[in-house]
Amino acid sequence: MQRTTHRPRLLARPGLVALAAAVALTASACAKSEDDASKDTKSPAAAGAEQKVVTPKPGSKSCTVDAYGGEKLDLKGATVGFSQSEKEANPFRIAETQSIKDEAKKRGVKLLTANAQSQFSKQISDVQDLLAKGADLLVIAPLNSDGWDPVLQAAAAKKVPIVTIDRKINATACKDYVSFIASDFVEQGRRAADQMIEATGGKGEVAILLGAAGNNVTTERTKGFKERVAEKAPDLKVVFEQTGDFAREKGQQVTEQLIQSKPGIKGIYAENDEMGLGAVAALKGAGKKAGDIKIVTVDGTRNAVQGIVDGWISGVIESNPRFGPLAFQTLDTFTKGEAVPQDIIIQDGAYSTDNAKSEIGKAY
Amino acid sequence: MAEATTLRTAPLDRARVLQWLQTYGVYAGVAALLVVNVVITPNFLTAENFRTQAVQVAPVIIVALGMALVIGTEGVDLSVGAVMALAASVTALYLGYGLLPALLAVALFAAAVGLANGALVALVGVQPIVATLALMVGGRGIALVLLPQLEDLRNPALASLGSGDVLGVPYLILIAAVLALLVAFTVRRTTFGRQLLAIGDSRPAAQLAGLPVRRVLIIVYVVCALLAAVAGVLATARLQASDPTSLGNLMELSAITAVVVGGTPLTGGRVNIAGTVAGAVLIQLLTATLIKHDLPPSWTQIAQAVVIVAAVYAARGRGRR
Repeated sequence: MQRTTHRPRLLARPGLVALAAAVALTASACAKSEDDASKDTKSPAAAGAEQKVVTPKPGSKSCTVDAYGGEKLDLKGATVGFSQSEKEANPFRIAETQSIKDEAKKRGVKLLTANAQSQFSKQISDVQDLLAKGADLLVIAPLNSDGWDPVLQAAAAKKVPIVTIDRKINATACKDYVSFIASDFVEQGRRAADQMIEATGGKGEVAILLGAAGNNVTTERTKGFKERVAEKAPDLKVVFEQTGDFAREKGQQVTEQLIQSKPGIKGIYAENDEMGLGAVAALKGAGKKAGDIKIVTVDGTRNAVQGIVDGWISGVIESNPRFGPLAFQTLDTFTKGEAVPQDIIIQDGAYSTDNAKSEIGKAY
Repeated sequence: MAEATTLRTAPLDRARVLQWLQTYGVYAGVAALLVVNVVITPNFLTAENFRTQAVQVAPVIIVALGMALVIGTEGVDLSVGAVMALAASVTALYLGYGLLPALLAVALFAAAVGLANGALVALVGVQPIVATLALMVGGRGIALVLLPQLEDLRNPALASLGSGDVLGVPYLILIAAVLALLVAFTVRRTTFGRQLLAIGDSRPAAQLAGLPVRRVLIIVYVVCALLAAVAGVLATARLQASDPTSLGNLMELSAITAVVVGGTPLTGGRVNIAGTVAGAVLIQLLTATLIKHDLPPSWTQIAQAVVIVAAVYAARGRGRR
């Protein structure tokens, strides 16, 4: 009995490993997807798509090297560490990382990168690794706002300036970190509401496809939308709010339920492009025509802007992921000894039927 | 049994109720939800609505069928969601050759995952929950390596697989129904089905009786992976996009829920296919009801938990008997 169970055990392991390796090798070797030919047409750094700054308004707080307690240095010879929060599996993260890399290359800065794969503990150790590897400056896209003390202490000990992008760290600006660069998610919600009011004429019932629960992006995009609707178009009623978890399939399923239980729905506000595209798939599946139900989304991915051109989506509010130029410019100004604002809010674009066709090249 | 009747009547009644609940509770639940919805949900009694619910539940049913077989052998397969993701990315990767070659490639990949699961469980002797946990993590990893981000698919054959129909019945529903009948037939009427249940009842006894334990176990895990791959391809076809990041997320839990709520004990040796289908439908109707009435998503989770606890409670009563 022992011998019979022992032998296959020895055989099975190398067998399995070999099998897995063989499968993985052959898989990518002879793969042929639908659009292999057209893959190179996407240009990550489209012209005219850089972030523009809304603030600093006069009188807003700023930060200098002297106040922060660091030393002046030349960005050109410096090493910059970039810690990304989520894996580059969605267009936003892909464009964000690419933009940082492109800008580092353009400025001739040595860049170290790390990806936390959505695990906060990994991000903490990532940043500590970057510091250990000799990063002089840090750009962090935080996964969470809290729990950064160990990293901030380590960075402070080495006097390494930190710029956080797209999410904020709960700490003291100009003491624990230098600046925070991001979009205003509440404002994105308000502008989405403006587009929805225009598309529906400000009357009727609309639905919201919420993002993942417990996420500040979800809460703020919802808050802004509802505020603006209540203020500008009281006849527009939000009658349905269900989560689509920021995923296309979930957006499709929820929309399918929605259009059956509330056939009179006028518009759908999707808190990201993927859910909006899921809603489009649901409407197509239900035999609706383009424009029957107005869809407004937030993000500005190429697929969604194409949706405007095709007539299925009424408007897309951009959430610009190209942090590279602004982040490096901030670091450059700061390390030269000049003042930089503590909160840098970027100006996001918008796509509507007027500009979708001409500006689709800006979408990511 | 006869003694029990004469000695204590009340506990037996409870046991009988529990047994009835375990066998028919899920159907009663479905019926109750249908009645409630007809009364309180606007536009519920329409062909369109039933079509939507059936199309949405079809992939869950297909995955749950495989899961029921694995649970019948006293195992569990946590890798089904990862296999769905893998199927999605492989479909996108090979669609350039046409739909059929792509499907073949998907089947090969799924069979490889099933083989790995089955070999770990049957040959190496790793516990099913651990063996399939490895592929649950690794499978999605491979899927993301193969296709790092969502890709839109425009293949017309794939599109018609996802949204086409025969005489008004979508392909998805037909495929799920045919697979359910096939699996039910296999479990009830074939030697393989009997062997599967015997192994689930007692693996040592099956081994002593000279049953081909390893072969049956490996085949069961391969079949489960293939069914999950079918579900993955159908979901991809319906979405007309391959999304390995989120497709099949938490599907293993939905499938296990459907199987358990449907009255298949986790201890193996018994498989209830009709109950499994009804279990999936029950969860679908529950979710649909809460969504249609715009209740907070957290309610859906709580409601599912209540249903699972009720099902496990009924199963416990039966286990004691």
